[in-house]
Amino acid sequence: MAYTPQYYPGTTSVGINRRKHMSGNLEKLRDLPEADVVTTMGHRKPGQDYPSTHPPLKEMGEPDCPVRQAVEPTPGAAAGDRVRYSQWTDSYYFAPSIPYWRSYWGAINCRGCDPGTLSGRQIIEARERDIEGYTKKQADSEVNDVALCSMRGCTVHGHSLRLEENGMMFDMLARTEMGKDGNVYQVKDQVGIPLDKKINLGKPMSEAEAKKRTTIFRVDGVAIGGKAGARKYDEAVEALHHMWELRSKWGYRPE
Amino acid sequence: MSTKSDTSTVQVEIIPSRYLMPETAQRLLNEIYNNGGMVRIFVQGPNMPRAVPYGPGKGIPIDEHRDMLVEIGGQAFELTVKVGRISLELENESYFKGLEAACERALPFSFQIRRGKFFHDRMTVSDYAKFGEVEDKRILGLIDPKAKRDKLAVLSDESVTCDK
Repeated sequence: MAYTPQYYPGTTSVGINRRKHMSGNLEKLRDLPEADVVTTMGHRKPGQDYPSTHPPLKEMGEPDCPVRQAVEPTPGAAAGDRVRYSQWTDSYYFAPSIPYWRSYWGAINCRGCDPGTLSGRQIIEARERDIEGYTKKQADSEVNDVALCSMRGCTVHGHSLRLEENGMMFDMLARTEMGKDGNVYQVKDQVGIPLDKKINLGKPMSEAEAKKRTTIFRVDGVAIGGKAGARKYDEAVEALHHMWELRSKWGYRPE
Repeated sequence: MSTKSDTSTVQVEIIPSRYLMPETAQRLLNEIYNNGGMVRIFVQGPNMPRAVPYGPGKGIPIDEHRDMLVEIGGQAFELTVKVGRISLELENESYFKGLEAACERALPFSFQIRRGKFFHDRMTVSDYAKFGEVEDKRILGLIDPKAKRDKLAVLSDESVTCDK
């Protein structure tokens, strides 16, 4: 029987969503044009050639190395692209993803990337054409909601603040805005430089939908212990206790 | 044993469950102002800079944050924060119920309102460094000591003064 990785324990909706994010088996909710994703990232203009930091690997004459022979380079590495990044911020108010789960998603599903997890933001670095692909996957899939998540290269602190009246996550640089038609528009790139034209990101999730898709345990949503008043905690808590116990013992008495 | 005086001031904090758009902030502040009995009021929230403060886009103007004028009690001033918390002091207990009703009228979503101690009444070292000796003690507790420039709006029955 083929082995199925068990990424995360628990029977709560959050546990199920966390497993789904880690497995990479994500639902596609929208299809943003690639040029719009590239414009929002702001590293190069859509259609422009990829600048490179070294010649393509084939022309370089690599040393005789078994690891290099075993590992196929990503398209970006093979072409010698620059390393570039995309950074996302997710609101505490039931955003579909959170920095740790974006990183798990990246580390498990994206080749040749370097995910970085911080309290309020999550960055993935990779070769330029690779990171563009990974960013589009994130932007299109259920890890992203246009009101509760946004690409922010700097000034990310809206994640921990209350939402605005229209349900958007606060952004000091006003990179996205809610249009009168109910769609969210990207008006600046991820570092706050205005775009030539607005990018329509689509409609945000309803509150109920966001609560259904979230990977955040919250007392006013789904608690990590599972159903309140149940005789037994959810498996997620048991597994957490188990890992904590083993780690503490191992930490105190390495053998 | 001390008895609470009916005439002692009451300090109140209002926390809406969402950040307020300038129009809602204006509506709420006007309702609060019209309720009367206000000694002082302090509006707080995350800063809305006029230009990108750092990063590759540093210095680029943020047009969305310009001209956020609100008019309260016939006086206009410019909002520099997204209103998220309002602390105020009332002349006495009798204005509290009206204040609560004013919030209910102005806010289309839930809010918390509570009484407590929200303004300091003795001068701190930072206050002294910023202002020196002050005559009007109402100014104490109305200033963010970390602010690089003074952000102050004192509302009184006579006038609204705004010092930026």
